[in-house]
Amino acid sequence: MIRLMGVHKSFGDLEVLRGIDLHVVKSEVVVIIGPSGSGKSTMLRCMNALEPIQRGTILIEGVDITDPKTDVNKVREKIGMVFQSFNLFPHKTALENIMLAPLKVQKKPREQVEHIARELLAKVGLAEKADSYPDQLSGGQQQRVAIARALAMQPDMMLFDEVTSALDPELVAEVLNVMRDLALGGMTMVVVTHEMGFAREVGTRLIFMDGGSIVEEGDPREMIAHPQEERTKRFLGMVL
Amino acid sequence: MDALQRYYFNWDIIKDTVPLLLRTLPTVAELLALGLLFAFIWGLTLSLMRLSRFRVLRWFAVVYIDFFRGLPLLLLLIFIYSGLAIVGADTGIDALILPPTIAAVSAFAICYAAYSAEVFRAGIESIPKGQTEAARSLGMTYGQAMRYVILPQALKTVIPPLTNELVALIKDTSLASVISVPELLFRAKEKMGVVANPTPLTVAAVVYVVFTIPLIRLAARLERRQKQPRAGTQIPADMAAQLPKGGGLL
Ligand SMILES: Nc1ncnc2c1ncn2[C@@H]1O[C@H](COP(=O)(O)OP(=O)(O)OP(=O)(O)O)[C@@H](O)[C@H]1O
Ligand SMILES: [Mg+2]
Repeated sequence: MIRLMGVHKSFGDLEVLRGIDLHVVKSEVVVIIGPSGSGKSTMLRCMNALEPIQRGTILIEGVDITDPKTDVNKVREKIGMVFQSFNLFPHKTALENIMLAPLKVQKKPREQVEHIARELLAKVGLAEKADSYPDQLSGGQQQRVAIARALAMQPDMMLFDEVTSALDPELVAEVLNVMRDLALGGMTMVVVTHEMGFAREVGTRLIFMDGGSIVEEGDPREMIAHPQEERTKRFLGMVL
Repeated sequence: MDALQRYYFNWDIIKDTVPLLLRTLPTVAELLALGLLFAFIWGLTLSLMRLSRFRVLRWFAVVYIDFFRGLPLLLLLIFIYSGLAIVGADTGIDALILPPTIAAVSAFAICYAAYSAEVFRAGIESIPKGQTEAARSLGMTYGQAMRYVILPQALKTVIPPLTNELVALIKDTSLASVISVPELLFRAKEKMGVVANPTPLTVAAVVYVVFTIPLIRLAARLERRQKQPRAGTQIPADMAAQLPKGGGLL
């Protein structure tokens, strides 16, 4: 579904991704961990072409998104993305946030879109918040709306970038529960997180990144219990 | 004291002048409404060009904005009215001979577009980058993200500074008196000549500030209200930078 081959990415002189190879197959839940600045967010952002890359190839469902002839907007419809800072549209209600892209991008009929949107809100446990504006919602609620908004495009895969890092501890679980349900439903997911409990319980693969490279990857439980690389050991020692 | 009253607050003249000046208000309103309408449409367009990824458009917008921000409005006004008319008369191209009101509206629109373009640009740039990214990641094109996500938020933030532009243009409509548009200052000056007394100017001054001062206050109030951040919309960068908070499900 997602395939990165020899991906190099620099910001000016700073090389942030140094040759990433990664293949995510359908229904996998790939959890990515690593120290700050190791390039996790950048890698995720490259996967839906929010950042251009200098070298390498990125295939999404077989489509090369680094090819200038590719319509990246079409590809992005297939990839849902959720951000650390929620990024809900503050001038729109929860329901409108969810409905906007299906209406304007997919040009689906309003009735159908509203039906889907209300179903998604119920799925993330916020049916009664449909008409609330983002600033009337808690962080955890905003993040669940953001997940519902991404799901409304009926994506084939979802990218999560530290979606619980900005939340108070007591709100983290409600967001992780939504993500776990998604994973159990067979969604293909790439999740950058420091929630090792989530990685162990829900992840099908764990990847440790450092300095713009993938240092180690493997079965989450196995890797958390017995990390092979020195750097992985040190990092896990810090977050566990 | 007596002299002051006789020359600047002469009651008999005031009584005459007030209705005379009030009758010019539709003309002032017309200059304002049309000037601002075209200025804002053209200014928004310029700001989008300024932010475009096409270098030619960016370059054009920068040159235009700098040029007309640097140019005295009065000069442009005279140029569009008299400057073109002289050439029109000389060459027989009648289209160059503009009615004074149209010349004034054009000059206002051209200059105020440059001022408001900077206001619109600041408004667009004040919207966090995450908004564009969220919109783009949902499959929206650049245009759709602008139209449905960025501009609706940006236009709200530019209301106070645009109100200040409105105040500035109310004052600048008086420049049109130079090309004999029968607006407020033109009529006041005319009356002053007839009665050989500056009281009509006092009346005109009062009429101007009656309109401008409430708008100045309003802009200040709107600005203050916008400065108070509404709780929980955006995470401050320093908090977003905080890192691992492990252990939720452990
Ligand atoms: N737009 C940018 N311009 C320049 N440098 C950038 C930009 N975005 C990221 N970087 C740099 O790229 C490096 C990797 O950043 P990235 O955000 O991918 O790290 P990360 O692993 O997600 O870290 P964190 O855990 O702090 O989110 C950092 O050194 C960062 O400063
Ligand atoms: Mg990051």
